[in-house]
Amino acid sequence: MQNRRISLFLLAVGLAALNLPVAGAEYRLTGKVAPDFALRSAGGTNVRLSEHRGDVVLLAFFGSRCDQCGDQLAALGRIVDTYQSAGLAALAVNVDDDQGAAAEFISAHRTSFPMLLDPGKSVARSYRVDNLPMLLLIDRAGAIRFVHRDYRSGQEAAYMAQTRQLLDE
Amino acid sequence: MNRSFIQSALLLAMLAATATAFPADESAAPATAVTASAAEAPAAEPATDAAAPVATPDTRALDEEIQAIKKDVVDLNRDLFVLEEELLFPANTQVAVFLSMDVGAFFALDTVELRMDDKQVTKYLYTPREAEALLKGGVQRLYLGNLRVGEHELVALFTGKGPNGQDYSRGAQVKFEKSVGAKYLELKISDRQRKQQPEFEIRDWE
Repeated sequence: MQNRRISLFLLAVGLAALNLPVAGAEYRLTGKVAPDFALRSAGGTNVRLSEHRGDVVLLAFFGSRCDQCGDQLAALGRIVDTYQSAGLAALAVNVDDDQGAAAEFISAHRTSFPMLLDPGKSVARSYRVDNLPMLLLIDRAGAIRFVHRDYRSGQEAAYMAQTRQLLDE
Repeated sequence: MNRSFIQSALLLAMLAATATAFPADESAAPATAVTASAAEAPAAEPATDAAAPVATPDTRALDEEIQAIKKDVVDLNRDLFVLEEELLFPANTQVAVFLSMDVGAFFALDTVELRMDDKQVTKYLYTPREAEALLKGGVQRLYLGNLRVGEHELVALFTGKGPNGQDYSRGAQVKFEKSVGAKYLELKISDRQRKQQPEFEIRDWE
């Protein structure tokens, strides 16, 4: 009887661990310099992260099959439109294998900032992207300061506060 | 046993607390000294102009000291960079490939891929800003690596937009002899006016 209880308890703990949100896990690159990259944008021009050194950068990873990605990109668009003149830039990186699906998603979610294509996922790997959407806030010195591994409605306020903090530094 | 353990733990905690407290006091000391002198100085010399900052000599000295430290850091960083390059790429095995562009009316650079002895060593994507810098006369060190003495082959693949704005891809290759000294090669993109076409060549800097 007691053995059964213990095994049930262990099973419950295991299931709880499986359901732990990725957002709670530690992100190893926080505080470190953001790895540099150059990617082609959906518009055809090439974009390099290091060219934005001196700006605060919102770096978002998204995919066409992710439910919250469109909402997050819209929220980022509003933040960028507000703080662009204060030195804020945003880059969104698509990690779809299917370039047709990526193009369709991008045309349905137009933004004022570049949408970059990473079909080989080399950039996503270097940033250890483990969930979509994923947002990194990079300070003016190029260090990763804040990470969000999901998006819920209302989170825009937190993005805004953290962005303002980095812009004020 | 337990009591002595608690006592030693408390002693260690106190030592740690004093160790952390002292540097903070030391760093705070110059700041308080400056403010104190700034506050006291007007009282000692009331005839001086109110707009003139009395603590200027102190702050100037501090500023000079900060600038000197900054310069030392920059110099040290440069020395470390040179040392790192010398260690990683010693002159007897070093090979460097540079890229330059001349005019560029017939070619808008997008990507350069380098293959050394049939193995890709770099693939570089150019942003509009980088391409513009090259057109203004900049020379980019595209690749730095090590090669053994002997014959080697370098292949460069250039992609971009051609004379009519169409996708354009060309290659250039060179066989070169790597001797004991460092080897420098230059990829040069220029315009051939007569043919209205871009020209890609690899030069060996002897």
